Amino acid sequence: MSFVLGIDIGSAQSKGVALDDQGPLGSFECASGGNFKLTAEKVKEELFSRAGRSADNISRTVATGYGAKLVIFADEIKSDIVCLAKGISSLLPSVRTVIDIGDLYTKVLRTDGHGSVHSFILSGKCAGGSGRILQVIAKVLQVKVDEIGELSLKSKKRVEFNTGCAVFAETEAISRLSQEVTKEDLLAGLHRALGAQINNLAERIGVEQDIAMTGGGARDIGLVQALKEIRGHDILVPPIPHMTAALGAALIAREGLKR
Amino acid sequence: MAEEQKEAKPKKRMTATKAAASIGPMVKEFITGTLQAKAEGKQKVAYTFIVCHHEEIFRALDVIPVWTENFAGICGAKRDAERFLQRAESLGLSRSLCTYALCGIGFDQWREELGQMPPEAPWGGQVRPDFMISSGQILCDPRSKWYQASQQFMPDVPIYNIDLPYPLFQENRDHREALGYYHQYIVKQLRGLVAFLEEQTKKKMNYDRLRELVDLSDRTWNLIDETYKLRRAAPCPMGTGDAMNTMVPINFMMATQKAYDFFVDLKKELEEKIAKGEGEVENEKYRLMWGGGLPAWYALNDFNYFNSKGASFPVETTYRMVAPLHEMDIPETKDPIEHLAWRWLGYWTFWYDKAKKRPGSEPDVERLINWIEEYKIDGVVMHEAFSCRTWHVGLIWQLHQLAKIYKPIPVYMIGKDGQKGKVYRELPSLILESDIIDITSYSEVDTRNKIDAFVETLESIRANRAT
Repeated sequence: MSFVLGIDIGSAQSKGVALDDQGPLGSFECASGGNFKLTAEKVKEELFSRAGRSADNISRTVATGYGAKLVIFADEIKSDIVCLAKGISSLLPSVRTVIDIGDLYTKVLRTDGHGSVHSFILSGKCAGGSGRILQVIAKVLQVKVDEIGELSLKSKKRVEFNTGCAVFAETEAISRLSQEVTKEDLLAGLHRALGAQINNLAERIGVEQDIAMTGGGARDIGLVQALKEIRGHDILVPPIPHMTAALGAALIAREGLKR
Repeated sequence: MAEEQKEAKPKKRMTATKAAASIGPMVKEFITGTLQAKAEGKQKVAYTFIVCHHEEIFRALDVIPVWTENFAGICGAKRDAERFLQRAESLGLSRSLCTYALCGIGFDQWREELGQMPPEAPWGGQVRPDFMISSGQILCDPRSKWYQASQQFMPDVPIYNIDLPYPLFQENRDHREALGYYHQYIVKQLRGLVAFLEEQTKKKMNYDRLRELVDLSDRTWNLIDETYKLRRAAPCPMGTGDAMNTMVPINFMMATQKAYDFFVDLKKELEEKIAKGEGEVENEKYRLMWGGGLPAWYALNDFNYFNSKGASFPVETTYRMVAPLHEMDIPETKDPIEHLAWRWLGYWTFWYDKAKKRPGSEPDVERLINWIEEYKIDGVVMHEAFSCRTWHVGLIWQLHQLAKIYKPIPVYMIGKDGQKGKVYRELPSLILESDIIDITSYSEVDTRNKIDAFVETLESIRANRAT
């Protein structure tokens, strides 16, 4: 019986999935913090505990994400692009385009349903088009990042956000709050602006349906809704969207055993 | 004034060919040569731009062209552009303008302010010109404005502007209908340049010499074409990383015997490498095309990074500023100026007829498709340099159009009905983003993450390719 791990060390959150031949045994998520090596160890130990297995049982580990190179116990490192394609193909095989909203980047990739990537694009260095902007705004509004989606959907009069820059967005948010704009309307405006930026990125490589959103940003229902409205059609979201790359890494690890 | 500091020195890029390795010293010799010539005062020195088909006229009148874009590129490659960019910014110029121009203007202003070269100027610095010859062609507005800005600090240095248009591609119209008018206009422009240079140098044009130089350039063009076509071999003996060196004789040394001899040597070297089965990469796994965009001069090591993943670059659209002359409609003429004008038009309209034969194609897209097939390309890499609108606007459109009309990769896909079917998909592509010389726009970690993901994509496509 194989026992494999997929570990995704992101710039903000680290995720892990344990699999055996039958399917998932457990998953774990924690903040990445400043020491990726220690975080990777922590994810591994927690996965052992949740799966009820020990280091002796492990067959293979694949690491991915920004800090993948610091997962020193990994047998293989794969890019998150490839892992996302693999992960989504097992969760939602009809998906041809994945939009992954991470803390550091937004990634758009086109896949074929088998887990093979056909093309991809990443947002640039600017944080304006990534999930980081959501954290920045949550801090300004003094709400939890998990709450901003619901708040945004309650908006009655969405404000027009003028900027796509994370730094300017913070300034603009503060300025709008002083004009007594509600948190709900402000968040709806931000989601719209961010959604438009993400959509532009996706259009650069062409979009094929079905589309799925993954990554931490896909947990924000306000952002998902904004993107749906901009595109004018449904967007699928897997049940635990931020685990997609870790799941893909684990699936690649399991496939590696068969080679 | 802006803080003037130098950036960390880059690691030297490994070249695949001896010819490419010889370019650095050659450029240094050229830069120091211009300084010496100016000091001796025997020859006039002119600022000017590449790809204007006018170097034969310069050389026939013993004028030394100083390629200002080249000097900015050198500053970038040496990671020593930032202090000149900052100086230009402190003069009120925006960083979003062409950074070649900003670097040149910042340097010129500093040199003029000091009355001598700025401290530790790269390779001795850029010489003060006797005059400046600009040309925006029809594609680059900073070329028209750059010298006007520099002239603020050198009011005694005259500018002569030449206009070099060419007919734009129209799917339903034969460009030859208007070619004669364009030709007459360009001939007039070039004759105006001759008159200006004669006035500045106090010399009369020797048309026999000009004819010889034009002939030398033509022979060099064909030789370059033959040499670069050798890169179709697998494994590819020389990649785009090296071509970013060997662009020097193509763009800065035309109409010289040295440029011709360089390509004689390079051709021989490539033939030898092919005979021995030596490639740019030891185990060539993927063949990529540099499908557009000027390179990030401070990050040429990224080509080595691609190589380390088994990827070679047999062909690039950037700086391959020649096309086989025998495939162009160039009428016979004994007048070298007329010939230069025909060659100019022949180069820019080279892909027009081919593009018309493929529905939805355009000349730039057609070139990509032809070279993808000729060089057996697995993927296309482009670089979007934020500060260069001229060469970079349209790159994404080209990729879109390429993906739309050219789908060479067979794959099996599961349809909505759950059935597996064979479909054809486009070539994968990678878009890198930074700048030509502004290193603050570049992230090595980001770039290499993208390259890693792209190489894994190529691997994934190969594994899933339908037979």
